Amino acid sequence: MIRRSKLTLRFAMIAAAFAAQSPLRAQEAMKHDQMMHEEAAKTLYTGKFHGKVHSTEGRATIYEQSGGKFVLRLTNFKTSNGPDVHVILVAIKNADDDVKSDTERIELGKLKGNEGDQNYQIPAGTDLSKFRTVSIYCERFNANFGVAPLEKF
Amino acid sequence: MTQRTWLSRNKLTLLLLSLPVLVGAWWAFRPEKLFINQKVSEPAPLAAKSDSQPIYTGKLTGSVHQTTGRATIYKADDGKLTLRLTDFSTSNGPDVHVLLAKSDDATLNQEIVKGALDSVELGSLKGNQGDQNYDVPASANLAQYRAVVIYCERFHAVFGVAKLEQF
Repeated sequence: MIRRSKLTLRFAMIAAAFAAQSPLRAQEAMKHDQMMHEEAAKTLYTGKFHGKVHSTEGRATIYEQSGGKFVLRLTNFKTSNGPDVHVILVAIKNADDDVKSDTERIELGKLKGNEGDQNYQIPAGTDLSKFRTVSIYCERFNANFGVAPLEKF
Repeated sequence: MTQRTWLSRNKLTLLLLSLPVLVGAWWAFRPEKLFINQKVSEPAPLAAKSDSQPIYTGKLTGSVHQTTGRATIYKADDGKLTLRLTDFSTSNGPDVHVLLAKSDDATLNQEIVKGALDSVELGSLKGNQGDQNYDVPASANLAQYRAVVIYCERFHAVFGVAKLEQF
């Protein structure tokens, strides 16, 4: 009987310790978040979208975050909706050059929405001096919806 | 005659066979997406709320003298507007000013402006090279005066123009 109550007590203590710790952890995480937010991102490149296959408008901007991470942000963005549409960075000299199947590209992910402000992480080690054009690209039909040539901000 | 009967006899099979084709076509083209918009609104990665945000930006191009760089108008939290020139370079000259003019003003295409230039004065050019800030008066109507002009008042020469676009 005593042993049993001891065991329950131990469990209770462990549970109490966890309960006490979790809000602390949450607070720490919040503090960390705030710190991340306090350091503003640096604007590196920017450019305006124009339509290719479909009319596309808005602005593409690349920011460098405090940790050295690069983020592509689309603002006032609008294009047509479609199947399997992706955001890619392409290495073409002129933004109006064709994006071919063998064009060097960096995949940034599926287009989150055909309207509105949105962010995409750029993989570490991407040579931004080479990939200077953002393309909204339908992988299914190899259709280049629109492009934004990036220029130094 | 025989084909007709064959068709009517195999109607159901044909219908069943065409179903995957239709589904495949729908999956490939997703025609309903033509009418359905997917709207997103993510916050900026900047986050620092007290920071001033860029609202207009444009690249400087030279007319009389080679001018390069970027002009950006920032709006601070309290509504104060600041013009910032970055990577800026123009030729040095006498009595050079920074102005805001109407971007559709045809006189900006002239090298030497005849008569007066309809503009908002931002101040004397602080330096012909480097990053620099200019206060934009609260009265300036940015809906109309959307071009930054580097202007030599003495000779009415347009050194460089940056047509601003929404950031």
